[in-house]
Amino acid sequence: MISLRNVSLVYPNGVRALDKVNLEIAKGEFVFLVGHSGTGKSSLMRLLYREARPSAGEITLDGIRVDRLRRTRVPALRRHLGVVFQDYKLLVDKTVWENVAFAMQVTGAHTRDVMRQVPRVLDLVGLSHKSRMYPGELSGGEQQRSAIARALVNNPKILLCDEPSGNLDPTNTSEIMELLLRINLKGTTVVVATHNQAVVDRMRRRVIRLEDGRIVTDEERGYYYLGLGQDQILSG
Amino acid sequence: MDWGKIRFFLGEVLRNFTRNAGMQATAIGTVAITIVLLGLFLFVRAALAGMGANLLDQIEISAYLAPDATPAQVAAVHRLLIADPRIASVEFVSKKRGLAELRARTKGVIDTALLTENPLPDKFRIKVRVPEEVPSVAAGVRRLRGVQNAVYGQTVVRRLLQLGDVLRRVGIGVIVVFVAVAGIIISNTIRLTVFARRREISIMQLVGATNLYIRIPFICEGLLDGLVGALLAVAILSIARATLWPRLLEALPWIQLNSSSVNPVVLVAELFLVGGAVGVVASWISVGRHLRT
Repeated sequence: MISLRNVSLVYPNGVRALDKVNLEIAKGEFVFLVGHSGTGKSSLMRLLYREARPSAGEITLDGIRVDRLRRTRVPALRRHLGVVFQDYKLLVDKTVWENVAFAMQVTGAHTRDVMRQVPRVLDLVGLSHKSRMYPGELSGGEQQRSAIARALVNNPKILLCDEPSGNLDPTNTSEIMELLLRINLKGTTVVVATHNQAVVDRMRRRVIRLEDGRIVTDEERGYYYLGLGQDQILSG
Repeated sequence: MDWGKIRFFLGEVLRNFTRNAGMQATAIGTVAITIVLLGLFLFVRAALAGMGANLLDQIEISAYLAPDATPAQVAAVHRLLIADPRIASVEFVSKKRGLAELRARTKGVIDTALLTENPLPDKFRIKVRVPEEVPSVAAGVRRLRGVQNAVYGQTVVRRLLQLGDVLRRVGIGVIVVFVAVAGIIISNTIRLTVFARRREISIMQLVGATNLYIRIPFICEGLLDGLVGALLAVAILSIARATLWPRLLEALPWIQLNSSSVNPVVLVAELFLVGGAVGVVASWISVGRHLRT
């Protein structure tokens, strides 16, 4: 579903954000991307939704060569993707319902489909009863769930989450992670970039660890720190 | 027809338009001023062109007879003129009738009662078939015995055409400058609204809206600026036409002011076209700059 071959990203200021990254993510997988701030997690995400282009290497997403994609074809790619951010990126002057519907309306969707699809995703994230409220009236967790509903409304095959729980307390974080898991169980490939150790260690999913722009470990059912069980970390 | 889609779209355009009311007013005002000037220019040009053509058509030669010309000479001149194939019509105007016509034409402006004797000679009024042949006909008539002089309004026509030319050049320069200024102001207005909505735009891009789809509301905003400005200008011009034009006619009776050659429907259509085009082009450019990044 997602494939990176020898992908490097060097920013114009000379910073090497990614260095010859090789990565395969299969359809329906749930993957954590971990590492300290500035190790290239967000850069990798940005390459996937074509906000940035790699300096070298090949990126294939659902059969689309993202690195070679022409500018005019980017919208088509993004309709296959849902993207969720730490700061939610909701429009404050629109209600939850309008925020979610907006994502469909601007792609030229038919109103009939909007009316059918929006209630469905709002129900999935558990916000049907708050659909008429504005983002400012919601808790952080509810805002993030609105953002996830918006990311899902176009039925993406892949959901990319960049620090989705970065601004949330542990309770809300757990709820968001459970929601992402449920979405994954419906067949959507989910990639979550995070430095939240507790979440990663509790979920026991595939963990890819980045350090200085390189993949240093890639483990099925891994922990935040490679090869170390929770007991070992706790005992030092 | 998907009414929900249309309602969403119009709502977005309207929200944009009302958000920066001050800037929109500036843009609309500039467009209006530009278009008022453009309208005046087009009107004057059309009126002048009409006047010029009219004058050329009306041009006639006055063949003044010598005071001592004998009736036989006058009759001979008349025969020769009638026989000339280049001449459309010949009319004898006695000095008495000439004075009466002058009185009628200058009534209220010049008091001809002040004249103690009739200064006008008898004359033939000659109409030529083709305006271009007027000079050669006049030269021939001047040589006839019993004719003192033959004149036509050569300088008037020449000056009129020169004036039209100067007006056209200056006018085009002024209009180009104003259209450019209006374009820049609209483009800055749109850039401000683009900036105010950069979050929305980035989210639209994120969820896969095409650039055209992102662009259209801003283009509509520019179009609206242009058209509302044009509407304002047309209103101002109509009021001016209704109130100032009759006074101008009254104030300048000796100039044959004539607006019959101006088609108001075409003129208004042209003004709206210019206003709309300026708005669309200016907003297209300023949104394009933002989307490329």
